[in-house]
Amino acid sequence: MNQPKRSDEPIWWALFSAGGVCFAVVVPGLLLTVALLYPLGLLPENTLNYQQVQQWLLKDWWGLAGLALAGAAICLPLFHAMHRIHHGLHDLKLSSGLMGKVICYSSASLLSALALYFWWQGLG
Amino acid sequence: MSEQHPPRRPYHTPLTGSWWLKHRYYRLYMLREATVLPLLFFCGCLIAGFYSLQQGETSWLNWLSFMAQPWVMALNALTLAASLFHAKTFFELFPRVMPLLPAPLMIAGQWLATLAVATLLLLLLGGLL
Amino acid sequence: MEKTVEKTLVIQRYNPEHDQTPSQQSYQVPFDNSTSVLDALLYIQQSLDPSLAFRWSCRMAICGSCSVMVNGIPKLGCKTFLREYSGDLLLEPLAHFATEKDLVSDMTLFLQHLQAVKPYLIRQEQSAATTPASKPQPHKQTPKQLAKYRKFSSCINCGLCYAACPQFGLNPEFLGPAALTLAQRYNLDSRDQGKAERMPQLNGKNGVWGCTFVGFCSDVCPKHLDPAAAVNQGKVASATDFVIGLFKP
Ligand code: FES
Repeated sequence: MNQPKRSDEPIWWALFSAGGVCFAVVVPGLLLTVALLYPLGLLPENTLNYQQVQQWLLKDWWGLAGLALAGAAICLPLFHAMHRIHHGLHDLKLSSGLMGKVICYSSASLLSALALYFWWQGLG
Repeated sequence: MSEQHPPRRPYHTPLTGSWWLKHRYYRLYMLREATVLPLLFFCGCLIAGFYSLQQGETSWLNWLSFMAQPWVMALNALTLAASLFHAKTFFELFPRVMPLLPAPLMIAGQWLATLAVATLLLLLLGGLL
Repeated sequence: MEKTVEKTLVIQRYNPEHDQTPSQQSYQVPFDNSTSVLDALLYIQQSLDPSLAFRWSCRMAICGSCSVMVNGIPKLGCKTFLREYSGDLLLEPLAHFATEKDLVSDMTLFLQHLQAVKPYLIRQEQSAATTPASKPQPHKQTPKQLAKYRKFSSCINCGLCYAACPQFGLNPEFLGPAALTLAQRYNLDSRDQGKAERMPQLNGKNGVWGCTFVGFCSDVCPKHLDPAAAVNQGKVASATDFVIGLFKP
């Protein structure tokens, strides 16, 4: 029996898994506070003021909190999402080739790079 | 063999793209996979947030008012539901993939982590830290 | 004892000698609390329609040959009882496989996939055959070593998990739950030394990476051996193998 080619899937699967952990552990709390309770006015208004958020995400600790947030709430979840979309397209018989894979993972990479670029810019 | 056998003619029906509609289990699977769609929206919101943060105070205030738009909040409420459903499925799968401790313990531990992050953020944004 | 209650069984029929497509046929079958789907099929064959084709042997959920779809769910005919269903029963041959005749499926692909992962103990060293002077030694195993693979070792090769797996349905080249579970079972066995021979099969896109953890395979497994867990533990093993491969030329 001829040996099948080794799949590069471990890379995408590792990113998918890490992103899945972030989606399950970090994202719910963020959604609850930043995307729901704060806009509803249930949290003190000054906690998300410009200077405060800048301090937290871009100034304290050389901006490492901002980097961690970008990684855990944007980059890894993006790879998680695009991995599922890539396989979902195969499930729905919409795509099975290399094209879908390239589009999915390159868009995740590009958007991640964009988020990191904005963080870097913010460091000033 | 002297007797003539009729040739085999196996009948095969290939799956169609709608296979997952046929059973509840498959529909739940697709729902799990679809949780990433609202997640993509929230990721987009956060990228915009990072963008506006480095643009300046006006831009940041615009982002905050964008996040308070009713349709954005509705979508993010959906995303929260999706993230919790994803968390439930993900936490239950983890001990099966890496059986390190008894499964109920591992599941509880993971929910505790989610709860801890939410509590921390609540304290932080509640001005209590 | 008089059996008075009857149930309707709708059965998918296909005769390769003259049918272009399968059709359905209904039968009335008397039943009681102990009538299994297999009993009902045997009753039909013996009393109503001798032309009905289906597979069976042990009648006690051990040979794995009586697999059919009951109302769209893969089941062992001998382990499924008519009393569990309130309405009619729809019996079809296993999903995702080709149908030879009536309820008989073509299991060739399944058997090929099982073979591909070398589901038997492999030893590297030459055994007692070359050194007849020394007595062959038994390969001892502690209960702890046994526990590692035991839950994956009770597969009866019934193929229900393949009929439950949409990834196999979408891509027949995917090795599938039972084969990958067997691979994991032998890879976890302390007496086995054949992991290196099996990993290339697991590492391919039709190996463990063809799985998206739908998980229905574990739901339908009549021996409850959680094939989905085994396949995904295989992913961890394959990812580890991937990293090791990066450092080895
Ligand atoms: S007849 Fe052997 S498993 Fe059902």
